[in-house]
Amino acid sequence: MLNYIIRRLIGAVPVILGVVAVVFILTTIVPGDPARLMVGQRGNPETIAKIRHEMGLDRPVMVQFVDFMKDALTFNLGRSYRNNMPVVQAILTRLPVTIKLAIFSMIIAVIIGVPLGIISAVKRYTWMDYSAMIFAILGISAPVFWVGLLAVVLFCKVLGWIPGTGLGNGELIYYVLPSIVLGVRPGALIARLTRSSMLETIRQDYIRTARAKGLAESIVIMKHALRNAMIPVVTVIGIETANLLSGVVVTEQIFSMPGLGRLSVEALLNRDFPVIRGTVLFMALLFVLANIIVDLSYPFFDPRIKYD
Amino acid sequence: MHRKKFVLLIALLFAVTTLAGCGQKAARQRGGEQQSPQQPSAEGSENILRMAIMANPRNLDPVFATDTSSSRIIYQIFETLVDYDKDGNVQPLLAESWDVSPDKKTYTFHLRKGVHFHKTVAGEPTTNGGREVTADDWVWTFNYILNPDTNSPRAYFLDMIKGYKDYQDKKTDHIAGISKVDDYTLKIEIDYPFAPFLSVLACNTFSVLPREDVEKYGKEQFNFHPVGTGPFKFEKWIQDDKIVLSRNDNYWQKDKNGNQLPYLDGLEFRVITDLAMEWTEFELGNVDQIEEVADPYYAEAKAKKGFQETAEPATYFYCFNLQKPPFKDNKALRQAFNYAIDRKALIDIVRNGRALPATGVLPPGIMGYDENIQPKYTYDLEKAKALLKEAGYPDGIKVELVYNTSDTHKSIAEALQAQLKNAGIDVSLKNIDWSALLDAADKMEIPFFRMGWTADYPDPDNFLYVLLNSANIGARGNYSGFNNKKFDELTNQARIEIDQAKRTELYKQAEAIAREEAPWLFIYHYTDHMLVQDYVKNAVKPFMGEYTMKYTQVKLEK
Amino acid sequence: MQTKKSINNTAPVKSKRMSEGRSLWMDAWLRLRKNKSATFGLTLVIIICLAAIFAPYITRYDPYKQLIWTEGIKAKLAPPSAEHWFGTDVYGRDIYTRVVYGARISLQIGFAATGMSVIIGVVLGSLAGYYGGFIDDFISWLTNVVFAFPFLLFVLALVAYLPPSLPLMYSAIGVVSWASFARVARGQVMQVKRNEYVEAATAVGGGDSRILFRHILPNILAPIIVQATLEMGSIILLESSLSFLGFGVQPPKPAWGFMISEGKQFFLSGQWWWSVFPGIAIMVLVLGFNLFGDGLRDALDPRLKQ
Repeated sequence: MLNYIIRRLIGAVPVILGVVAVVFILTTIVPGDPARLMVGQRGNPETIAKIRHEMGLDRPVMVQFVDFMKDALTFNLGRSYRNNMPVVQAILTRLPVTIKLAIFSMIIAVIIGVPLGIISAVKRYTWMDYSAMIFAILGISAPVFWVGLLAVVLFCKVLGWIPGTGLGNGELIYYVLPSIVLGVRPGALIARLTRSSMLETIRQDYIRTARAKGLAESIVIMKHALRNAMIPVVTVIGIETANLLSGVVVTEQIFSMPGLGRLSVEALLNRDFPVIRGTVLFMALLFVLANIIVDLSYPFFDPRIKYD
Repeated sequence: MHRKKFVLLIALLFAVTTLAGCGQKAARQRGGEQQSPQQPSAEGSENILRMAIMANPRNLDPVFATDTSSSRIIYQIFETLVDYDKDGNVQPLLAESWDVSPDKKTYTFHLRKGVHFHKTVAGEPTTNGGREVTADDWVWTFNYILNPDTNSPRAYFLDMIKGYKDYQDKKTDHIAGISKVDDYTLKIEIDYPFAPFLSVLACNTFSVLPREDVEKYGKEQFNFHPVGTGPFKFEKWIQDDKIVLSRNDNYWQKDKNGNQLPYLDGLEFRVITDLAMEWTEFELGNVDQIEEVADPYYAEAKAKKGFQETAEPATYFYCFNLQKPPFKDNKALRQAFNYAIDRKALIDIVRNGRALPATGVLPPGIMGYDENIQPKYTYDLEKAKALLKEAGYPDGIKVELVYNTSDTHKSIAEALQAQLKNAGIDVSLKNIDWSALLDAADKMEIPFFRMGWTADYPDPDNFLYVLLNSANIGARGNYSGFNNKKFDELTNQARIEIDQAKRTELYKQAEAIAREEAPWLFIYHYTDHMLVQDYVKNAVKPFMGEYTMKYTQVKLEK
Repeated sequence: MQTKKSINNTAPVKSKRMSEGRSLWMDAWLRLRKNKSATFGLTLVIIICLAAIFAPYITRYDPYKQLIWTEGIKAKLAPPSAEHWFGTDVYGRDIYTRVVYGARISLQIGFAATGMSVIIGVVLGSLAGYYGGFIDDFISWLTNVVFAFPFLLFVLALVAYLPPSLPLMYSAIGVVSWASFARVARGQVMQVKRNEYVEAATAVGGGDSRILFRHILPNILAPIIVQATLEMGSIILLESSLSFLGFGVQPPKPAWGFMISEGKQFFLSGQWWWSVFPGIAIMVLVLGFNLFGDGLRDALDPRLKQ
């Protein structure tokens, strides 16, 4: 088990290095000059040149790359071009918002997805099954930002249940809408996968045995089938991390949440390269870790899977 | 075996979620210490003005900030020698009065007594300890800003100060032209008489700074611990979320009845990027002031008591690149564009009437502005077509307009695209981000692109000289590459002319040349508005734009 | 996205299929036709495709015509009516017309980007699966890098920094979307490679390319088609998010995501039609591809059919 973890972590290193290299190349080859942007519309060419020098942008690209990689290995991500805040600090101050959003939306996804999946598997070919599945397919077909917009209009404007967007003073109510909006898609996916995996499980021998032993149907479902149904949930969480990190970008934009997504878009628009590199590196790390954790959790749900 | 691990995993999950919860609680408590009641209503009764702003400021260090969202905050924390009254005239601030020598090359400022730096920043005591500001502070501040190693983006605004060049070239360790006469008298010498000199000093870049704190925090941290002399002190800045300022109890200014200013206990700026949301929050009473009113709500906003709107010293235009075909050496073509757009319809329909048609460079309210200067571009399709023919494009012309990404620019570009099409001008649109546009414009790479200009100081010099004098071609401001001998002479002469009537005349002549030569497609002059709740009193919209507003005398009367 | 994984996990194509030849595709077609939701999805897709192709014949206005200049202020943000089925926008452009023309953009980007990712993914995936060894390691690493990269940021960066154009849009999307195809192709090729007839072909001395093209590619076609259909939906959603954030196709082109973002402010002040109709259009088109893709998967892989 430990061996497996170590192997996976070592395996992740070249991937992360690759991501870092790609983001470096991307931020180096694009036209536009961060120093120019800092000086503003009416700029003095000498001042601009000096700022470029301070930023180290006048060094040869290869030197910049090597320095950047060296620094990245020691988690020294530099300082924001815009306001000199250390990039690590900039990320850490935004992280709680994004993490909360991610966790709440996943909880919502599970709360929506698992029951829907079970119901539609158990009541197969009934109206309940059909409506659950229609909901699920709509859930993966609707654009997140549009659902978010409809939600704001409905809950803030028409019904007035939610005070507004932004973060208020950090009250949880401000997280409700964005989490639901973000949770719809993974919820729909979980519902679909839970349904098909439940259907498969129900036909398995041990379930038949359990039924034959005379266990109540509800116990059979809860005890045996549900445990297996956790696998799709875990799988979806694993795959959706990447989507979630992208979804967060759009959702935070709509709901004015000061999280990682907003940080990265603002950094992109302002050519704040250290921040872009930092957030990309950080998101890639999150993704890789989430996947390792997901893979590690499979044996808990399916005894047939083992890691040596 | 597996069950155990499963339980472990669940426990872990719980631990993670509760940890996240704790973090949040801790944050709330911390917030609570600084300003106890967190409920919006309670904050209102605490006499704090809450304002919604559109963007997270970049930099609260006045020496490095160049954007309006930063300036808005800086104006509350820092103060300059002079500032403007509501008609744009220079008035005393930290300098009580000043004398100008007959040759207009020496300025002697008599400093206000009893001005103190802030005692605290972000809840901690400052290094300066709240001491009084003297002439030494001003000398140090100017030396710091103009120091070539500081590299302030706006230092060169003062390049007319005596010894600027030597100091830049590191031939001396201080600037010769700035000296202390006594503790409360400061002398500044300049190389040539420069009419708008006082206006330049009103730029918030040139605010007095406490040496101890600047040195303690350094360039990198002063931004997060700004210490000045202004009516409000910095408390906290939650990135992308909000900035909180508190009242400076030692502020030097008192009202007419001798009451200590400012009246407010604090200011809170919330970043709300979405304009629709900003409006909703204003309607719900969650904020007392909003930065921008989006078009859909304009009619409603205009009807409110707290709404003020005036012309802003600013112009919105599209640049023709005079160094590249097709606009190079083709005045008729440039004029054809100027006759082909219906500015009034554009403003009425797309901008909701929130601008004034521009037929020249100078905006209303600026010296030298005269709406009768000829030619006066109006919507004249026939003339446009004739000029197009004269320009050598009888069958129409195809050009690409480059603008920087923004909803407003996009909607204007779309409307003008439709209008120009009627004259046979086929415009395709391309948006790039602001940095890329500046970059390409500096290098004179694009033939036709959007620009805008808001005055740094309210003087025609800031428009005609900066934007069109051939000395400033490229990054310094003349993006169209306009190069006209006569025009250069006029604007150079006006810079050093002392007689106001003569200056006005010179600028009128220069403006007439700019109109005739049409280096730009003149579009509109911005108007600027301010919207506060009815109970916000003494909110006066400043001449230089709403973002320069100071809250020294503002009151909440709920 | 989920479907990618489920295919990886559970869709090994049985080699016997090959010998059944055409009948497999016939079978699949018959199964597909019986599947009501799949036919519904296909119908949606076909209707939208036809609408896009024949847009000028089913609309009364020019999508770029700003009626406010000729008809005045009453054409500005007119609510849905007999004249303007979906209302007009702030310039007096007919929203129904723009939604119909918008289908062209979404479909164009959808097909082109999917095509690009299929080509890149299948080529790289097959190479990795077929040759194994160092090539496999390298390509698998590349795939993992692409998976781990926050793809929206990548596309955003490209579209924000480079001059925007349709080809840039679909290339940027294609570059981040091929990884799932590479995984499917690699897995399939590795499986097929071990089969007797391929071994036989190798023994007889068939060249690498001949074996890849004659024996292996036809075999991995089915899962790739399924994957591509489902990917279409994701790509159309991605494109609309980009235009929503203001980084997509240039105005005045009627991209759906962009129309939603333009109409957003007016939505909150009560003029809902500008944002709502393009949103429905996106949802319907993506729904069509998803339903059809689900059906295709069930039809091509009977094992999965519940």
